[in-house]
Amino acid sequence: MTVETRREKEITVAAITGRMDALTTSDVERTLMRLLDEGARTLLIDLGGLDYISSAGLRTLLAAAKRMKAQAGTMAFVNLKGHAKEVFEISGFYSLFTVYDSVESALERLGR
Amino acid sequence: MRTLRGLCLLLAVCFTLSPLWGRAEERTLKRAVFLPQWVPQAQFAGYYMAYRKGIYRKYGIDVTIVPGGAERPPSRYLETGEAQFVTAWLSSALQMRAKGMRLVNIGQVVQRSALMLVAKKGSGITKPRDLEGRKVGLWGGDFEIQPRAFFEREGLHVKPVRQSFSVNLFLRGGVDAASAMWYNEYHTIINAGINPEELTTFSFADLGLNFPEDGIYTLEASLRRDPELACAFVRASLQGWLYAFSHQEEAVNTVLEYAAEAKVPANRAHQKWMLARMKELIIPSKGGAAGLGSLKQSDYTLVGRELKERRLIGNIPDFSEFYRGCGADVQK
Amino acid sequence: MFRNRGIAFKLIALVATAGGFIFLCVFGYSYLFSRRTIEKNIEESARNLALATVSRIEASLRSVQKIPLNARYLVESRPLDRAALVDLLLNLAENNQDIYGAAVAFEPGKGKNERGFAPYVYRKDRTIALTELASERIDYPLADWYQIPRELSQPEWSEPYYGEGQGKILRSTYSVPFYVTAKEQRHFGGVIAVDISLERLQDIVSSVKVLRTGYAFLISQNGTVVTHPRKELIMNATIFGMAEEAGDAGLRELGRRMIKGASGLAPLGPGPLGPASLMYYAPIPSNNWSLAVVFPVAELMSDVRRFNGIAAILAVAGLAALSGAVILIARSITRPLRAMVQATGRIAEGDLDAPLPVRMSGDEVGTLTKAFEDMRVSLKQYIGRLTETTAAKQAIESELKVARDIQMEIIPKKFPTFPEGTGVDIHAWIEPAREVGGDFYDFFFLDRSRLCAVIADVSDKGVPASLFMAVTKTLIKAKAALETAPGDVLTAVNEELAAGNGTNMFVTVFFAVLDIETGELLYANGGHNPPVLIRRDGTAGPVEKTGNPVVGVIEGIEYRTGQLILYPGDTLFMFTDGVTEAVNRGGELFGDERLLKEVSAAADPSPASRVAAVRNALARFSEGAPQADDITILAVRYAGPLQSEHTGQA
Repeated sequence: MTVETRREKEITVAAITGRMDALTTSDVERTLMRLLDEGARTLLIDLGGLDYISSAGLRTLLAAAKRMKAQAGTMAFVNLKGHAKEVFEISGFYSLFTVYDSVESALERLGR
Repeated sequence: MRTLRGLCLLLAVCFTLSPLWGRAEERTLKRAVFLPQWVPQAQFAGYYMAYRKGIYRKYGIDVTIVPGGAERPPSRYLETGEAQFVTAWLSSALQMRAKGMRLVNIGQVVQRSALMLVAKKGSGITKPRDLEGRKVGLWGGDFEIQPRAFFEREGLHVKPVRQSFSVNLFLRGGVDAASAMWYNEYHTIINAGINPEELTTFSFADLGLNFPEDGIYTLEASLRRDPELACAFVRASLQGWLYAFSHQEEAVNTVLEYAAEAKVPANRAHQKWMLARMKELIIPSKGGAAGLGSLKQSDYTLVGRELKERRLIGNIPDFSEFYRGCGADVQK
Repeated sequence: MFRNRGIAFKLIALVATAGGFIFLCVFGYSYLFSRRTIEKNIEESARNLALATVSRIEASLRSVQKIPLNARYLVESRPLDRAALVDLLLNLAENNQDIYGAAVAFEPGKGKNERGFAPYVYRKDRTIALTELASERIDYPLADWYQIPRELSQPEWSEPYYGEGQGKILRSTYSVPFYVTAKEQRHFGGVIAVDISLERLQDIVSSVKVLRTGYAFLISQNGTVVTHPRKELIMNATIFGMAEEAGDAGLRELGRRMIKGASGLAPLGPGPLGPASLMYYAPIPSNNWSLAVVFPVAELMSDVRRFNGIAAILAVAGLAALSGAVILIARSITRPLRAMVQATGRIAEGDLDAPLPVRMSGDEVGTLTKAFEDMRVSLKQYIGRLTETTAAKQAIESELKVARDIQMEIIPKKFPTFPEGTGVDIHAWIEPAREVGGDFYDFFFLDRSRLCAVIADVSDKGVPASLFMAVTKTLIKAKAALETAPGDVLTAVNEELAAGNGTNMFVTVFFAVLDIETGELLYANGGHNPPVLIRRDGTAGPVEKTGNPVVGVIEGIEYRTGQLILYPGDTLFMFTDGVTEAVNRGGELFGDERLLKEVSAAADPSPASRVAAVRNALARFSEGAPQADDITILAVRYAGPLQSEHTGQA
């Protein structure tokens, strides 16, 4: 499981690849929290490389989202596909979070 | 009264003779004196051993061995009766017989001639032809017969030099070739530091002049008087030789003792050599023990003819009269 | 073999071997060097000694040689008659003490000189006697002393011989040929000979003192021993005879060199001539005899040997001391090592209190010992902590077991039974991934005809999830009693759970209410896997989603109520994602399609059989891969209204 981060102007993009389960999710959580500590106001999480996500992984995303909300920042997801998409659909996270179709549209929208 | 005196005389005679009877009851040993033809050396080892090991006694003979030498010619001792048995060369004995001395050969001990000529290869002599015109040491007498026959046959003209009993003349280069006995002077030469490969040898035994040498002789009269004694002596002597050959170290020791007694210088290595060579000369390679001590008529004739050729004898004496062989059935 | 021995042994072996090797090299070299030096010196002094002795002998011989040479002059210059000759001889004998005897021997000729003429004077007691050699007994022309000079035409010294009688005096004769001139021709006339006793010569040679045990000896031109400390060899042995006896070809060769007039230094092996020695030999020019000066090697080398002997003893003692030191040092290493081995042995057996012998030495051994001791102490502490932790863990585990029991107890296990054709048939299965799980199911009757069925999955697993699960279950049951619509129930539960949810845990819930009389099914789904609805004719499909998210995350969510009609024989198959997300060894997910297939393929339409079918399928699918998530299944089959018009039973 890896998390790659980059900056697109004001937006921080974090691409998660691999599995997010009880074992790996703490690393993701650490990374995301670090980004927030560093002052990221807008965070775009790219789940294109995510093979699998468990409820523990969802918890991590929730925690990051809540923190973002508390910091008056914005968090969004992009490139949901496969298993992650199914989970988002069933769990209703789709309606909880903002999900974009593509990185370009996401960057454009968030940039405004 | 005469009978009484006669009886006393008879008794006295019996008395004095009784020790003899006593001895006769113990043993009946016949006395004999034996003279070898030269000073004590391994050339006569067999006789010494026969004496020492009691072989003569076993054969019923009480032998006295007289040491030989230059001043004790065997012929004289036989003639005077000082010795009953002597050794002599066949050629010498033949001449004696031809001159009229009635001696007979009862055992031909030495079957093969040991006489040879020795030369230094370094003086340029490697084959008979090289002897032409050279100084050759000769011993004279019967020792010259074979060499002279050889020179005549090869058509050689040599300068003969009288040779003494020493080889020093040869060693110093005073003669180019020297006479030598293979069992004696040859080894003396080697013992003076010359290596065998530095010498050229001409052995008469290999040159068609194989004269048998030492034989045991006795007077015809002695033989007639007591043939058993003669044959017993020969057989015992031959047995003594066989013992010496199978106990060479012991034999050499005995010979050295006899030499020392006669104040003759002798050294062990030399006597060892001599005894070993005597074995080869006495036990012929062909025929083995069967021929031990016997004189072959062919050899007799060979010697006789040469002697006649040299005009040393007139006619060759009759073989059967000369040779009364005793050695044929000796037990090993 | 070597590998398994102790350090002390290895060190000593190495030191001893290396030390021994070094000593050997040093000694070997020093021995060789001293030996070579000695040999060189010996050759020098041997040569000097030999040559000095040779000149003394030469002087003696030459003085004798002069006599017959002078006499020859006289004899050759004019013919002397017998009396004059005898006079001459007597003069010679009287005036020369060296001479034992003298003779003038004429070559035998013809006539009255046929036998020859050779007057000979000799010392007898205190006088000088005269005799005539030409007699029947002595054939002087055949004698070596006569023949050799005659044939070689030069003077000659004879081989040594013992004279007749007069005890054992060794003699040699110097004979000189003389020539007479007759008819202008010079030809051999005879020989003038003088005998000398070799005693003087023997004395000269015996007087040669070499070191302590060295000596000189003399051999004749034929190799006969003329004089030697071992008297029994004199005249009885030639050097060649001795070589033959001993089988010593080298000695024979040496003898040949000597009689050929060579000089030099040669080793003489132990043998008839004496012990192992170095020999310097030189010829006596006058008579071609050879003198040898012998230095016994043992004596030559005795100093060197003694030196080497002492040095060897010192070396051995040194090596022994060195070995002792090595042993001490080795011990200082091996003893603490052995103690450590013992202590670690005890530690290995479990006795962590066995202290190690810490030494104050600053070397590697001390450091190692200290390190070992530190290790022991921390090992002990670590094991202590581990023991505590294990004990605590065991305590927790036993508590967890209890918690599991409690958890299982609060989940209904007893399924209600109804008369055939009425009511519902329920079957369920729950298998937590750990001791306690976050999944649960529940069913209860609100009233006589209304059945509530719940299946829920708390995020995560383990103790936190099980606590959350207990809370959620209780809340749902409580709210179900208050609200009529399942959607409202979930809304209320959500409000409670989301408030103050610092852990961000959530629960997915499917909550349904079945009216047994009518078959009407009202339901609400908060982010849970849609159950499978299997109609009585066998067709199966998921229950429509309501679009609501998981419960407990955000306040203020309105949960919708969905509605279905169940006909008798229809089965509602509820499950958690532990079923669909079970993985096999290849990492494949069980998946919704497979579940649908397995569920509808059950031969027996009863919930029990359907549950069993899915369980079997899961078991086969996962093939021993570890269970990742809690697995929960709740199957409810609607049989019909409570009172059936057909049966008429009450």
